[in-house]
Amino acid sequence: MKERLEQMKCRVRDREHKSLRQDVKLDICEECEAEELSWPRRMARITEKMCEAERPVILPDEQIVFTRTVKGVPGAPMPKDVQARLDAEGKRTGWGAGNICCDWGMPLSQGLLGRREVAERTRHRLANDADAVEFLDAAIQTIDAVLGLVARYAEEARKQGRDDLVAILEQVPARPPRTFHQALQSHRFMHAAVWMSGSVHVGLGRLDQYMWPYLKADLDAGRLTTEQAEELLAEFFIGLNKDTDLYPGVQQGDNGQSLMLGGVTREGNDAVNPLTWMVLRVSHDVNMIDPKINLRVNRNTDIDLLTEAARLTRRGLGFPQYANDEVVIPGLAAHGYDLEDARDYTVAACWEFIIPGRGMDAPGAGAMSFPAATDKAIREGLAAGDTFEQILERTRLNIRQQVQAHVNRWKRSTVGVPAPYYSVLMTDCLEQGRDVTDGGAKYYNHGIHGAGSSNAVDALAAVKKFVFTEQSVAPDELLRALAANFENDEPLRQKLFNEGPKLGNDDSVNSLLTVLFDLFAEACEEIQDNGRGGIVRAGTGTAMYYIWLAKKPEEGDMAEPGVGATADGRHAGDFFSSSLAPSPGVKVRGPISILQAFSNIDYQRVCNGGPITMELSDTVFRDEEAVRKVAMLVRTFAMLGCQQLQLNTLNVKVLQDAKQHPERHRDLIVRVWGWSGYFCELDEPYQDHIIARHSFAL
Amino acid sequence: MGIVFDIKEFAVHDGPGIRTTVFLKGCPLRCAWCHNPEGFSPEPQVMTGPAGTRTVGQTYSSDELAARLNQLAEVLQANEGGVTFSGGEPLLQAGFVAEVIDRLDHLHVLLDTCGHASEQDFRLVVSRSDLVFYDLKLMNPVEHRRWTGADNTKILRNLDVLSGMDVPFVVRVPLVPGVTDTDENVAAVAERIRGLPGLRRVDLLPYNKGAGGKYKACGMDFRPSYDESAKPRVNPAPFEGAGIEVHVR
Ligand code: SF4
Repeated sequence: MKERLEQMKCRVRDREHKSLRQDVKLDICEECEAEELSWPRRMARITEKMCEAERPVILPDEQIVFTRTVKGVPGAPMPKDVQARLDAEGKRTGWGAGNICCDWGMPLSQGLLGRREVAERTRHRLANDADAVEFLDAAIQTIDAVLGLVARYAEEARKQGRDDLVAILEQVPARPPRTFHQALQSHRFMHAAVWMSGSVHVGLGRLDQYMWPYLKADLDAGRLTTEQAEELLAEFFIGLNKDTDLYPGVQQGDNGQSLMLGGVTREGNDAVNPLTWMVLRVSHDVNMIDPKINLRVNRNTDIDLLTEAARLTRRGLGFPQYANDEVVIPGLAAHGYDLEDARDYTVAACWEFIIPGRGMDAPGAGAMSFPAATDKAIREGLAAGDTFEQILERTRLNIRQQVQAHVNRWKRSTVGVPAPYYSVLMTDCLEQGRDVTDGGAKYYNHGIHGAGSSNAVDALAAVKKFVFTEQSVAPDELLRALAANFENDEPLRQKLFNEGPKLGNDDSVNSLLTVLFDLFAEACEEIQDNGRGGIVRAGTGTAMYYIWLAKKPEEGDMAEPGVGATADGRHAGDFFSSSLAPSPGVKVRGPISILQAFSNIDYQRVCNGGPITMELSDTVFRDEEAVRKVAMLVRTFAMLGCQQLQLNTLNVKVLQDAKQHPERHRDLIVRVWGWSGYFCELDEPYQDHIIARHSFAL
Repeated sequence: MGIVFDIKEFAVHDGPGIRTTVFLKGCPLRCAWCHNPEGFSPEPQVMTGPAGTRTVGQTYSSDELAARLNQLAEVLQANEGGVTFSGGEPLLQAGFVAEVIDRLDHLHVLLDTCGHASEQDFRLVVSRSDLVFYDLKLMNPVEHRRWTGADNTKILRNLDVLSGMDVPFVVRVPLVPGVTDTDENVAAVAERIRGLPGLRRVDLLPYNKGAGGKYKACGMDFRPSYDESAKPRVNPAPFEGAGIEVHVR
């Protein structure tokens, strides 16, 4: 990377731009009430106030500008009449637009003025529809606010004698970009303004698709070299890391700036282009947490492209994350998505499949705890003298009960908070005169994470083997041990944990995984309406629920049930695995067996997303040949019909934790020399040696 | 029946493509730098590490082991890979290994051997392999005995057998500081293998501190009499001079 960019990156890492932030705290509550603004107008007021309060920042070496200087986004109170209506209906507050993805190519190609014209036309057409008019006026207000901010940036550029920037800012985001550079600058403003409107988890979608026409035109015309294009893209990526501390999430970095590469076009043709490759290369060089890269693959994806992606994996950033088109597209189609839309999928913040511009899905709307469902079934079933089949039947009912409890909770919040600015950037909202949270989008489905599946499978498998088949553990012996968190039963716990069949090392349990996810899918399919005219999608992710759902029932402060000690030999309070991975601490056969195990899920019915999560030691990537083998592993993932894959390269933190808590990392393999060993079987000096080596690896 | 101390999936450094490596338990040599002490004894044994104890050494019938390997056949074949037999020394269980290979589902077979075996055993397995990794440690028989516990007569004889068998092979030389990495030894290896039919290349494996990691867990002491912290000398010149392709791993 160029020195200019290295310096820019350092400044962002050191958060130097924080000193540019203003000490203002915006509050619009009073004026909203005093002016008796409608709800859409209140939300538009947020965008407007934020844009007005911004102070233009143009640093000498910047080619793509915008730095946020106003920290907090003010809230707007719900109008009294809306509140009264909700109270009367016994409903809670509304839900907002977030964790979705704009139809980026569309507003880019039309420019915000183009969008404004669309709004004007619809307003004229729907002049008698008061709600539509109010929404469209609010949307126009946000467009004007953003353009006002850009005008002040242009003024500042003029003051600084930056004619290059003046020319760009006079063109975009108001009008369609004429160059790749302009397209990136346009995107920067449009995207930042979504955050400034109070929305969170603002996805970046299929960047290699919507940006490619601009880049291609520049390259074809000889206006830009590949090297120059990479420099611009790098600056754009660094910019995405600038304001992330202002973006709310569970942890910093949890901001939904995910980007999707590759796959097929809406017509079904191969969508990989030179920009796909370029993003992988530039992301590798920039080496920062944003944007988070995803790559769509199939069994025939060019192995060289997968190798380029594996090089990025080697960086240890935990991306790219892979999605298998051969599984995801038919899965979405089976869930009622139009085929063209299904082909256009991207991911929401983490991994949930959504449609850019058209989806107002809420794909991470809670979790179903498999361990809670099976544990309750096991405890009650054993106490009642059930057969194993009867325990499965209880599991079915428990899963169903959890899913229905969720849906009932959602149904209490059926009013969407208006999002006039977000709607400007969505496919048909202005065209229809409807806000994205009020019917302007095409899809309003929900998704539930199916969390902790491996521990649940292992628990069922242990009961089946020891209580029913071998009859080496008496039901009340197990019940007592579970109730006491194995306090006086360490030998029994060891037996359950070490000798029980486990997902990832014993294929006989794979069918239980299929059964559990089928039950989950069945429970979701039963729901006709999620309260927003959508369906409910079953998923395989966990998000933070692998920690939250592991809490004991009495410690739980969530809607989802907690769970105590479980029959797989897990102590109460121990974490589950993140998304799809063998239970923590289980010694598995290896990556191929893990892929094979998780290929047993029926992804046509379980299509919300949630990756198989694997950690590779960074010593795996010793040479180019090995990097190519990681690419082959990804191809294998596609070949086996799995849905989504996240490969993490191990870093020093994990190793240090493994040293402190070897029991949690029994499976951690490290390369020491021409050989590999289990990290936890190495003597301390060797562990330290490896940790030291990893500390120096960058 | 055979005894195995580990089966490693997705072994990326043990030959071409995606491979599964089977580590067979028991070795006739005792190299001072050996990093797999659990491979010495042909019996099951208990290893005790910070994570607890586990028994190392699982017995398999040839049917069982072949079934386990065949399970991944489709994946291994699709990825230019196969199965690697390593150890310990796989030829110590030559009959068993041959039986397993005969039961494999058309999988590419790589034999990783130290060569210290009877000619009969050697031929039995090599004739069933697609590629051989052949270790050459020291050319001087006295030195060889001093550092590995046996002289190299059988190894050098089997090297000639190998080059007459029409199975491609790679010679692998561990570079242990002050022991095998001397110019004299390296030149002697190069001279010995120059022009051998079937030789594809030489892999030089520089010693990296850390070979002793598993000794304590096996209840053994690791007291190398070479300088563990010295950097091994990596000198590919004699091989290049002999017209042999060299990789440093
Ligand atoms: S031949 Fe290999 S396995 Fe046997 S002792 Fe020597 S290094 Fe160890």
